[in-house]
Amino acid sequence: MKKTNRVLALAMAAALAGTMTACSSAAEETAAETEAATEAAETEAETEAEESSEAAEAAGDDVLLMATTTSTDDTGLLDYLQPLFLEDTGIDLQWTAVGTGDAIQKGKDGEVDIVLVHSRKQEDAFVEEGYGVERFQVMYNDFIIIGPKDGAVAKSDDVGAVFQQIRDEELGFVSRGDNSGTHNKEIGIWEALGIEDYESNPNYVSAGAGMGDTINMADEMGAYCLSDRGTWLSRKADYPDMDIVCEGSDDLLNQYGVIAVNPEKYPDVNNAAANTFIEWICSPEVQDLIAEYGVEEYGEPLFFPNADQGEAAAEETAAAEEAAADGEAAETEAAEEAAETEAAAE
Amino acid sequence: MKIFNLRKQMGDFCLQIDRMELAPGVVHGLVGSNGCGKSTLSKLIMGILTPDGGRIDYEGLTPRDLTMTSQKPYLLHDTVYQNLIYPLKVRGIRPDEAEADAWLARCGLEGKKNQYARSLSSGEQQKLSFIRALIFHPSFIIVDETMSNLDPDSTELFEEMILEQQRIRPVTWLIISHQLIHIRRLCGCVHFMEKGRQIAQGTPEEILLYPQHPAIRSFLASTEVFYRDPEAPGAGKAAAGREEEPERPAGNGRDGER
Amino acid sequence: MEGFHQIFSEFFGTVGVVDSIRVTLIMSFFSTLIASALGIFLGLLLEKRQFPGKRAVIRVNRTLMGAPPVVIGLLAYMLLRKKGPLGDLRWVFTIQGMVFAQVLIITPIICGMVYSYAVRTAPAIRAFARTMGADARQTGWLLLREMKQELYFAVVSGYGRSISEVGAVFLVGGNIKNNTRTMTTAISTLKGAGDYYEGVFLGVILMIMAFTVQTLADHFRKEGGDENL
Repeated sequence: MKKTNRVLALAMAAALAGTMTACSSAAEETAAETEAATEAAETEAETEAEESSEAAEAAGDDVLLMATTTSTDDTGLLDYLQPLFLEDTGIDLQWTAVGTGDAIQKGKDGEVDIVLVHSRKQEDAFVEEGYGVERFQVMYNDFIIIGPKDGAVAKSDDVGAVFQQIRDEELGFVSRGDNSGTHNKEIGIWEALGIEDYESNPNYVSAGAGMGDTINMADEMGAYCLSDRGTWLSRKADYPDMDIVCEGSDDLLNQYGVIAVNPEKYPDVNNAAANTFIEWICSPEVQDLIAEYGVEEYGEPLFFPNADQGEAAAEETAAAEEAAADGEAAETEAAEEAAETEAAAE
Repeated sequence: MKIFNLRKQMGDFCLQIDRMELAPGVVHGLVGSNGCGKSTLSKLIMGILTPDGGRIDYEGLTPRDLTMTSQKPYLLHDTVYQNLIYPLKVRGIRPDEAEADAWLARCGLEGKKNQYARSLSSGEQQKLSFIRALIFHPSFIIVDETMSNLDPDSTELFEEMILEQQRIRPVTWLIISHQLIHIRRLCGCVHFMEKGRQIAQGTPEEILLYPQHPAIRSFLASTEVFYRDPEAPGAGKAAAGREEEPERPAGNGRDGER
Repeated sequence: MEGFHQIFSEFFGTVGVVDSIRVTLIMSFFSTLIASALGIFLGLLLEKRQFPGKRAVIRVNRTLMGAPPVVIGLLAYMLLRKKGPLGDLRWVFTIQGMVFAQVLIITPIICGMVYSYAVRTAPAIRAFARTMGADARQTGWLLLREMKQELYFAVVSGYGRSISEVGAVFLVGGNIKNNTRTMTTAISTLKGAGDYYEGVFLGVILMIMAFTVQTLADHFRKEGGDENL
């Protein structure tokens, strides 16, 4: 399996408290077909449950609960950051990975302390309605269009042209169809092209599934789909018949934002930990770590940190071009960094 | 035990007992054709069914003093022995194993003490159910068709045990049976039911030898091979012949009545 | 033990499989325990009591036996979230919350099974208890003892539902790694990430667990029977 993941898993296992380890071992015995009485394990587990819940109570403020999108989870970014965050701050980051809409709703319900998502409109509404404190931009990755290697679509950087061709030639297209950030991005592209009847394409499929499943479905059907680069990079080894057919357009940027849930609405949210996390993830050191993530394994980074440009971009909304330029600059910067790391690795 | 105006509606069928007396210490027989309400009455007495109206005066008997055995007895998913001592367990009595063994030996079940009760033959199951009803010395026992469909030896054993109990201590019995031979041999008092009502009550001779009610006469004509309705032409002799039989059951009944 | 831990972690990567097994065991144990107690009690009560609308209650029960878990899960989530009527419990994203949702799913199954067994057997047992002079408590105990075979099947069915259920557990528990991720939600996470073989392997472990529990239960049941026979 993935080397990085393996190391991380071991590090995490080591970090687990003694009780947890003991309990895990008990569970393992059962799993490993040991004929040890399952009931005994269950009783043990029962005791452990009490203990660990007590432990959780004792730890109390040190747990930060996040609602996030599937991409941050599927790419393993959070698994990469979680132990580092614990080490630096003593706060245990826990997350539930759902669609962007669901993640923001969980924030609105006050069920989580913080949200990390990528859907600008929904994020802004979340803050405007008073549920979120303030939006900080963290990083971006970009979307790509992938499809069969020798398909009808020629490789280009013109998103509009590719989408137009898919519509005109009624090519197979698998949509996430789950109101996720990726899905919203796709709809945005159709709207920008003025194509409203994109669903009347007989080969257009709305999957209602996560990114990994959608890519798989597209591969099975020989269809095209819109994917975030991170998920594609982590999966592409499994799909030799597929390749990127469109990338590099500014229209395909995918900006992640992090927002603390407003403690004025929900006094019991762990706002202190949320603020610590925002400060932490926006710090230059962690931003560098994000830029390094995935380089070793895939040869290029999965996410491009841009927290340092965040405020400038937010304040000078008028200067859209400048912001775009900044984005490009960040990309180049990140690419350079990646190249450096790669060189260093070699 | 006295029953007043007892009423129970079961679908189309209606049981209505205006007055019935079950004198203590007597072996009572409950007779009637199928569907006349014998089982319904016994369930009402046991408290398994609740009456729609009327009342039963138990004259000091509590539910723990009553019991019933039936043709298809309920046996616990357990051993023969555990089945036998269950009523003792209910009463918090420590079972005397020797006594239990004696009861089992009486029925020829001694070798099957630790066998699964439901694996017994139906005759053995009935025997087990019968001694289970006797082991805790209840004061009132209903025997619902238990003696039907048994081989003659077993029937004799049951009769023997009933009479034996009567010699040891007074028990009120209510024996439901199709076979009038048992009723004649055992009972001191017979109750005849027809369509949910008691239509006659008296000694076995009164009811079964000199039946007054036409319903009883037609019942006897349909069930008793040797009975001839005296009012039917040329039937007198057969009925007269019965008169000469020894009157043991009546004597037993009188004992009970003191 | 560390060896196992390492092998598991290497094979499954960062999904947190070992903890998901622990969570599955805790959750299925408690949800089966609570749902069995409730389901058996309600099933027997439903058989015993006559009341207006009983047929409707039975029909609703039968419908709930086949209700899609994800609907019940959503309902449980709505009840448990902060704005919901049970929000003060703070059970969203906890094992308690998952147990709550599972109890809602499993109780009607056990209740319905117990009811249909009881309709067939309980009247005879109750009549028998009456003829033996048993009081209410003894009668209740006798019902449980005499129906233990049937009750056992109902409980095992409930347990099977509990470990295999994924929708409700995902909705209420949130699939949080090392915390509320169960084996089934771990499988769906593995699947979502495209790690199909790992998912199938974890599924096999789940089935081995179910088989082991079944075998052990059978074993204890037989032993219990031997004592009596």
